[in-house]
Amino acid sequence: MQNDDEAQKAIDRRSFLKSAAVGTVAFAAGTSLLSWARPAKAAGSLANVQSDAARAAKELAGGRVVTLRILEPSGSLGNIKPVADRWTADTGIKVEYIEVPLGEINQKVLLEAVSKAGSFDIALPASFGIPDLAESGILVDLDQLASKYEPEGYQDSIIYKTANYYKGDFYGYETDGDAYVMFYRKDWINDPEEQKRYADRYGIPLKVPDTWEELDQQLAFFHRPESGRYGVALFRSQYFIAWEWWVRFHAKGFFPFTDDLVPQINNDAGVKALEELAAASKYLYPGARSNGLFENFEAYGKGDSYANIGWGGTQKYLNGDKSGVKGKLTYGPTPGGKVNGALVRTPYFNWGWNYVVSSLSKEQEIAYLFTLYAVSPTLSTIAVRDPGGYFDPFRDEHYKDPEIIKLYSKEFLDVHEASMRGSIPDLYLKGQGEYFDVLRVNVQAADVGQKAPKQALDDTAREWDRISRRIGRKGQTVQWRFLKSLYPEAARSHLV
Amino acid sequence: MERHDTVQLETQCRPLPRIARLPFSIVLVLPAQLIMLLVVVVPTLIVVWLSLTDWQPTDNIPWFKAEFSWFWNFYDLLPDERFVGAVLRTLFVVALCVSTELVLAVALALLFLDEWPWRKVAVSVIILPMMVVPVDAANAFFMLFNDHGPINQLLSLVLDRPVEYAWLADPHWALLPIIFAEVWQWTPLMFLLVLTAFLNVPRNQWRAALGLGATPAQAFFRVVLPLSLPVMLVAVLIRAIETFKIFDVIYILTRGGPGATTESISMYMYNGAFVYFRMGYVAAAALLVLFVVVSVCLALFKPLQKHYE
Repeated sequence: MQNDDEAQKAIDRRSFLKSAAVGTVAFAAGTSLLSWARPAKAAGSLANVQSDAARAAKELAGGRVVTLRILEPSGSLGNIKPVADRWTADTGIKVEYIEVPLGEINQKVLLEAVSKAGSFDIALPASFGIPDLAESGILVDLDQLASKYEPEGYQDSIIYKTANYYKGDFYGYETDGDAYVMFYRKDWINDPEEQKRYADRYGIPLKVPDTWEELDQQLAFFHRPESGRYGVALFRSQYFIAWEWWVRFHAKGFFPFTDDLVPQINNDAGVKALEELAAASKYLYPGARSNGLFENFEAYGKGDSYANIGWGGTQKYLNGDKSGVKGKLTYGPTPGGKVNGALVRTPYFNWGWNYVVSSLSKEQEIAYLFTLYAVSPTLSTIAVRDPGGYFDPFRDEHYKDPEIIKLYSKEFLDVHEASMRGSIPDLYLKGQGEYFDVLRVNVQAADVGQKAPKQALDDTAREWDRISRRIGRKGQTVQWRFLKSLYPEAARSHLV
Repeated sequence: MERHDTVQLETQCRPLPRIARLPFSIVLVLPAQLIMLLVVVVPTLIVVWLSLTDWQPTDNIPWFKAEFSWFWNFYDLLPDERFVGAVLRTLFVVALCVSTELVLAVALALLFLDEWPWRKVAVSVIILPMMVVPVDAANAFFMLFNDHGPINQLLSLVLDRPVEYAWLADPHWALLPIIFAEVWQWTPLMFLLVLTAFLNVPRNQWRAALGLGATPAQAFFRVVLPLSLPVMLVAVLIRAIETFKIFDVIYILTRGGPGATTESISMYMYNGAFVYFRMGYVAAAALLVLFVVVSVCLALFKPLQKHYE
């Protein structure tokens, strides 16, 4: 897959301002801002980054008893604790954990902006919430600290960096490789009888599907509830359903907005994507509509569904001892679509967790140094290795680590790495929660037949317009155009 | 002059501080009342202020510096289909749950009027659901109504064919498990209040009615029920207010879905405040809802007032 690291590198303030330059006046304003002197890069080397960070933190602590409080989503302790224990051993600075439910951490961080309680120093919000959190002022702009301590090349091997930045400012390191990946039953695909039956019925070979249409065909083919076999374990609960539609829609060749922030989601492609999503629901296993994240892992792990969609965390479970499908899976990126005869893939980075520093923290510099330490190549590898957590590979180094390879399997990691490199970004705009909640509610309403797909998307588009107007169309347009420029070239060149 | 005469003279000349002149009963409750004022009135005033702004935490300005936007939030709320739907849906759930609880409570209370063996144990068993944490009760109903849950298994036995109905994902039936959970958990409270009301009806009036030739049903409807009405109305009012705030059951069972078909007004405001962070808009919604709730309460109070006149 084409390496899109170039897009990932070009997301600092300079490139944000450049792409935000709309018209000569805006460009002039942007150019004048570029004349700000940027602080020089830190002197340390990448090889010593963790020891340098630890030493600097120890000096800053200066013999005081300092405790860093980390607000972390439930289930992530397995990834954080091994790193934090080493940190404490290296610096003498203790770490205290404040666990919050997985789906509520962004709210908790934002409430901190309101309450000003100063109850944590570091947090791990979901990446898609960074814009709102940055706008609220609760996050420290880490540009200055990064310039002081981050060695050259530190972020080079972080494959997906888009969520680290908002409006060109750096807010925190991505620490989880949450690109959507597909899972298929290899033994069902490789069954000669199934292959013959499929080829006879559809005239094409049975293989890992390239397009959503092909996938939907295979789901119908493998759905045999009378034999206890089901087509798919896709998510249909409200928290997750919109993500599938997002990928299906992009694969039809469209951005969600035009350059002037007019929603395109309710065009023919959007409606078709939603119709296809609703049609695929016929092939779900029983209980899929009510199941959340971990129930999905268990259900697919029972082995009676053909396909599933998920992340590296899904694979950690499915490749584990509790899984009934260990060794029976093959993998693929999320299917694409044929756009003007070309196969367009739009893998999607739709979750992720970023280490951020609270603006209310009294130890901001030490807190930043912890994040620098934790996301360093060596320590992040240790974090990802832990089978008890859900941080997935996100640096080049992770894909070469023998323990990580054993945990995930080489076949999965190849697909995961390719998906990470080609990922389209999430909708990193102010009000992301609002845009996506409206989309979620209407997509689910269409899925259960409460609304016609066209009506659902028209309602969503109308609401999106209202949201954009209320938040400020101008600022949103600037950020949207910048975000568009961060789409991987392979996808961007085919989307309109 | 004697010492006590001097003291008496000084006391007569120096006026007492105002607080010392208050009745002692008022002085005792004053601190609690002041705290209540602080805890209730001040936040209400803040909500009123927020409802007249479009403040969001993501604006990065303190709430008291939010831009004043007059009544635009109220103006936007009234045509908001999701808000209106949430209010109407909640009123429907309140009406159905409270009326079901009342009927069941009356039926149960009639069974427990007289002494019978194991009556006290039976009362303890009946009130057990009330002791369960609402979230745990909701989780239990989530499992009951799951596609492979006991409800579907029972239906499979009865209908003699496999039933794997997705109750919680059906826009037409998703409210049913929610109503079941609510009625199961809170009928015991209604039962206790109604039983208390029935037990406090003077027995001689009831016996007199029966002695004069009334049937038990006539005695119940003409003697017991009218005398129990004030307590029952209070029970209905309490349950109506509590049910109006329904949240945990919905959050656990459906999160307001599928779509927004089970979204109560509390879920709507939760989403508005903690997903959208539109605090100003939600504050306006909260005030409108307060108006609705107060109107309903006043309507329920009318029969009570008539009873005491």
